[in-house]
Amino acid sequence: MTSACPPACAHVVDDDPAVRDALAWLLKSRNVACRTWASATDFLAQATPQLRGCLVLDVRMPGMSGTELFDRLNEVQCTLPVLFLTGHGDVPMAVQAIKGGAFDFLEKPYDDNALVDRIIAALAQDATVLADLQERERIDKQLELLTQREREVMERILAGKLNKVIADELGIAMRTVEVHRARIFEKMNVRSAVELSQRLGRYGA
Amino acid sequence: MGYHHRMQSPLAPREPGSGHGRLWLLTRVAFILFAGAVIWLLTLTHQSDVEERRATLISDMLWLEQNLRFNLLRNEEHLAHLVSNRPEALAAFNPGARVVLSEGRGLRRIVWLDRQGQVRKSAPQGVEPQNLDANDSKTAQATTVRFAHSLGRATYSGAYPGPDGDWLFEVHVPVDEDGEFIGVAMGVYSVRRLLDDSVPWWLTERYRIALTDTSGKELVARSKVAPVRAEAGYQLSFDPPGHGLALLATPYAPPPSPVRNILSVALVGLAVAVLWSLWVLRRHAQRRLAAESALHAEHAFRQAMEDSLQTGMRARDLKGKVIYVNQAFCKMVGWSAEELIGREPPMPYLVDAEFAATAQLHDRILAGEGPEEGFELRLKRRNGEVFTALIHEAPLIDGSGRQTGWMSSIIDITDRKLAEEQARRQQERLQATSRLVAMGEMASSMAHELNQPLAAISGYSTAALNLLRSGSSADDVAPALEKSIEQTRRAGQVIRRIYRLARRSDGLSTPLRLDALVDAALALLEPDLQRQEVHVARDYAVQPTVVGDQVLLEQAIFNLLRNAMEAMQVTPAAERSLQVRLHGEAGYVDLSIADSGTGIAPDLADKLFDPLFTTKSEGMGMGLAICRTVVENHRGRLWFENNADGHGTCFHMLLPIAKT
Repeated sequence: MTSACPPACAHVVDDDPAVRDALAWLLKSRNVACRTWASATDFLAQATPQLRGCLVLDVRMPGMSGTELFDRLNEVQCTLPVLFLTGHGDVPMAVQAIKGGAFDFLEKPYDDNALVDRIIAALAQDATVLADLQERERIDKQLELLTQREREVMERILAGKLNKVIADELGIAMRTVEVHRARIFEKMNVRSAVELSQRLGRYGA
Repeated sequence: MGYHHRMQSPLAPREPGSGHGRLWLLTRVAFILFAGAVIWLLTLTHQSDVEERRATLISDMLWLEQNLRFNLLRNEEHLAHLVSNRPEALAAFNPGARVVLSEGRGLRRIVWLDRQGQVRKSAPQGVEPQNLDANDSKTAQATTVRFAHSLGRATYSGAYPGPDGDWLFEVHVPVDEDGEFIGVAMGVYSVRRLLDDSVPWWLTERYRIALTDTSGKELVARSKVAPVRAEAGYQLSFDPPGHGLALLATPYAPPPSPVRNILSVALVGLAVAVLWSLWVLRRHAQRRLAAESALHAEHAFRQAMEDSLQTGMRARDLKGKVIYVNQAFCKMVGWSAEELIGREPPMPYLVDAEFAATAQLHDRILAGEGPEEGFELRLKRRNGEVFTALIHEAPLIDGSGRQTGWMSSIIDITDRKLAEEQARRQQERLQATSRLVAMGEMASSMAHELNQPLAAISGYSTAALNLLRSGSSADDVAPALEKSIEQTRRAGQVIRRIYRLARRSDGLSTPLRLDALVDAALALLEPDLQRQEVHVARDYAVQPTVVGDQVLLEQAIFNLLRNAMEAMQVTPAAERSLQVRLHGEAGYVDLSIADSGTGIAPDLADKLFDPLFTTKSEGMGMGLAICRTVVENHRGRLWFENNADGHGTCFHMLLPIAKT
């Protein structure tokens, strides 16, 4: 199995080469892209913020343990979903890991295909997160295109006010409000006030 | 005896009396009164003495005056008879005058004066009175004659100095015959002679008699040379004989009275002696008081020391009778001092079961062979509770160096024993825990080691299956299966390693004496057995040798013994018994360990030898399982049966006897 990194793949971190290799085989048999790391330190050294996909972590490893790595990633606000694999079901540790934002926690021996299913789910979640991020960035860029007056008008549109009221409040002509409105819809790439509200509301803009 | 703490010890000093000061005040006042009375008595005696002497003086003087006057009167009469108009009178004058003069009544001269005052006769003859020539004398004489004539009675002249420092005075006695004045009989008195003649010797012994004139000048004195007490003198007027003459008597200092002096000295001496003895007594009393208060303080100090002791103290006489116990001992055993003192063995605080052993020890102690480092003895409190005491004995020696008994100090070491026991159990628990922890660690490590290849095998197999299902070629699938086989081998190696670890014992071939092993295991359990008061009965019919691992076999026997002991925890102490038997049986030895405990419930009997099965809160459930494994590894058998009487269980361990 190659270590080439596709845009989004499952990152397997396990100190045991056989286990690592078997997992790679398993994922390959289900057509899931994956990359393997021999240790937590290896992963930390080479990982970049742009890394996407999910993380499969063995809890018990010499050197930096799985949970330790997880804490370090949380510190740098890495959003990668993390799946823990453990040989001895340590319930308190599992609870703590889930609370800390781990995606899942699997105890050995596990059903291999079920593991792959969870990995696929994790990848999907990551993809959604990524899409959300991108949408957010787009909205931010579009908002930046609005002028000051357009922003004032947009706030009042989102508050559900009629054009006439907006014109009175801002002390401008009703006609001018209609022009601003059209410009806003165009810049924000929406067709109606409802659509505008939905797009912005999802991100709390 | 009985100098026990609550009774008043004979040695305990009394409180110093508060009336002591009052007593001393009384003594002082009494002494001062006594001394005052003595002085007063002496003064009184002296005063009455002085007064008496004065009274004597006065009466003596009165007597003297009387005597003088009597003499003068006699002389007057005699003088009057000498003068007469009768013719024979002239001739009779001289003899008569001589008789009168010789009578020694102070007259020095007698003169017959006629009516004109001319001397007609004078005696003694030849001696002319000088004073008659003197003018003043003559004048006085004439005056006196005139006075005598006119008065018609004897008249005395004033005193005038005579020869040799003597003083003279005259008496003129007018003589009438037939109613006609015929002359005067004049007598010249020498004052000195008058005194010499009239004052008797015994009076001059006592007094200095002197005549003084009006100015108080002493004219003549009759005296011895002796100290005179002028202030005690007595003066008596001697008028009419002399104008202004006075008779002064001054008593001589009385001769010292030896009896009185001795008495006075004795009185003073006695007073001094009383004072001195009082002072000595007082000093003695003060010293005694100081000693008493020191003793009292010392006693209080010792009492406090004794009461503060946590160590029980008990003294016994040579027969073993209790003669003293302190508070701590009473508190320890629960009997009061009154109940214990005077008591003879057997003592109520001895444990009945150990009575024989205690009595023996007691005899040894009384014989002076007690262990010096002290000995432990189980004693009984009044409420029946048994405690362990550490006792030290020391001989009790009286003031004359004779041994009168034994003093023992008794320390309740139950708590110490309990603490030791607890520490030991804690240690055991700790060891068990650490064994558990180590075991858990090892199990965990083994599980991980085994999990790794298993996980890999599972992964490869699933991958292979997935590939096969997705229609991959055999060539694609083969490497996964090959790797899977490789991991299977790895797992096998891990298991072999674990097995080797578990089997690491090579001491299975030592010849061992089974009875010695049992004794060693019993010795290990001895403290617990004693604490639980388990009676152990050994019955070794054989003393067989077996071949095996000493540590494992001993551990197995130890486990069985401890199980038996623990099975009797709720059994009454009197019924706790452990019977250990060794019997030979056709090449085998049967070690049976029977307890009198609760027995084993039938529903538990099946599970008893299962690993991890336990009925004990602290048990690991490994004991019997290990025992059985050990015994079976020694080609033996382990089983149990309930006792025939229904109380307790009997475990049997059957081991082959070694062939020699």
